[in-house]
Amino acid sequence: MKLILPDHEVLILEHDPAPVEQVLLEQGINPLEVIVTRNKKMISEDTVIEADDEIRIIRIAHGG
Amino acid sequence: MNPKHLQPDVPECSLCADPAVVYQRNAGRHLCGAHFTADVELRVADTIRTRRMIIPQDRVAVALSGGKDSTALLLLLSQLLPAWQDVRLIAITIDEGIIGYREETIQSAERLTRHLGIEHHCISFTDLFGDSLDTVLKGRETQACSICGILRKKALVVGAQQAGATKLATGHNLDDEAQSVLMNVFRGDLPRLVRNSGAGSSGKFIPRIKPLSLISEKEIAMYLMLNDAWNELPECPYTHHALRREVRSMLSGFEYMHPGTMLHLMESKKKIERYCAGSLISAPLHACRECGDPCSGDLCQVCSLLRSLGK
Repeated sequence: MKLILPDHEVLILEHDPAPVEQVLLEQGINPLEVIVTRNKKMISEDTVIEADDEIRIIRIAHGG
Repeated sequence: MNPKHLQPDVPECSLCADPAVVYQRNAGRHLCGAHFTADVELRVADTIRTRRMIIPQDRVAVALSGGKDSTALLLLLSQLLPAWQDVRLIAITIDEGIIGYREETIQSAERLTRHLGIEHHCISFTDLFGDSLDTVLKGRETQACSICGILRKKALVVGAQQAGATKLATGHNLDDEAQSVLMNVFRGDLPRLVRNSGAGSSGKFIPRIKPLSLISEKEIAMYLMLNDAWNELPECPYTHHALRREVRSMLSGFEYMHPGTMLHLMESKKKIERYCAGSLISAPLHACRECGDPCSGDLCQVCSLLRSLGK
C-alpha cells in the first residue's frame, strides 16, 4: 500500500490488509491527531485498507 | 450503488447504509459524512442553548483568525443562527504581525466572510500597540504565547466594543479547554482554573462564549473537510516554545488510550468550580490608571505588559 504522510513523504509498504488504526500506530502516529483519506474520501479508523490502496494522512493540529 | 457498500472492510453508518467516515468511541457508533455533520451541528446548538450562550437580539462578535477552529465556528454559527431571534454575527480578525504565517490566514478569513456575507473587522497589533508581535518578541521568543495571548485578548475586546458586540465568541475546542485545565493544574493556578468569563459573568466585560467547547479538534477538522472548508495553513512559528504543545501531545495520547479523558477533565473543572464557589476571594475591581479598563490592581495586565516592553 502507498502511504502519503503529513509531511508529504511517500511510503510504499508491503502489508497485509489491516485496519487504518493499526497502520497508523505502526508508523508512530496517534489516530486522534490525523484524518485519513482513501481516494480522496475520508475513512474511519476501523476501515480495512488493502495492498493496492493509496492512503493520505493529514495532520489536524495547528498552533495559533 | 457505491461498490464499497458491498465490501465488508468498509464499516457502514449506524444510522443509514452509507460508508462511515468515523467511529465515535464514546457513543459506540459509526457515522457517515452527512450524519456526522448533523451530529456536530446538533451538539453545538445544544451547548449554546443549555448554557444560554446566545439570547435574542445578541450581536455576536466571532474571533476569526482564519484557522480551522474559528472557521468552523463562523460556519456553524452562520448555519445555526437563523433559528435564533434577531441575532447578528460580526467577524473580528487580529493581525498580530507574524511574517510568513498570518498573511495566509487573514486572506482565508476575508474569503470566508465575503462568501457568508458577514461584516468583517481587522485590527492590527501595530495600530493598537505601536509594533508587530515579531518586533515585540525579539529576544523574548520563549514568552511568545503569553505575550501574544494578553495582547490578542485586548485587541479582540477593542474590536468587539467597536463593533457594538454583546458577546464575544471564540473557537476554543474540547482539546483546548482540557489542555488549559491541565496547564492550570500544572502551574498550581487555582484562580485561573475556576475563573469565569462566560455568558453569566459580571457586566463589566463583554461575555466570552465557547460554542465548540465540547467538540474535539479532530471533529472540527473533519467537519471542515466534509463541508469543503478545509485549508492546510501554516503553523504559527512561535508554537514550538509553548508548554501547550507538550500538554497537547500528552493529553492526546491519554485520550487515545483512555477514551473520555478530556471530557472527564472538563467535568472535574466544573466540580472544582462548584466546590470553590464563594470561597475564593477575588480582589475588588478598579479602573486601570493608564487605560481605565477594569482590573484588580493599579495597572491592568495589558498596560503592565506594555510598560515592561518599554511602550
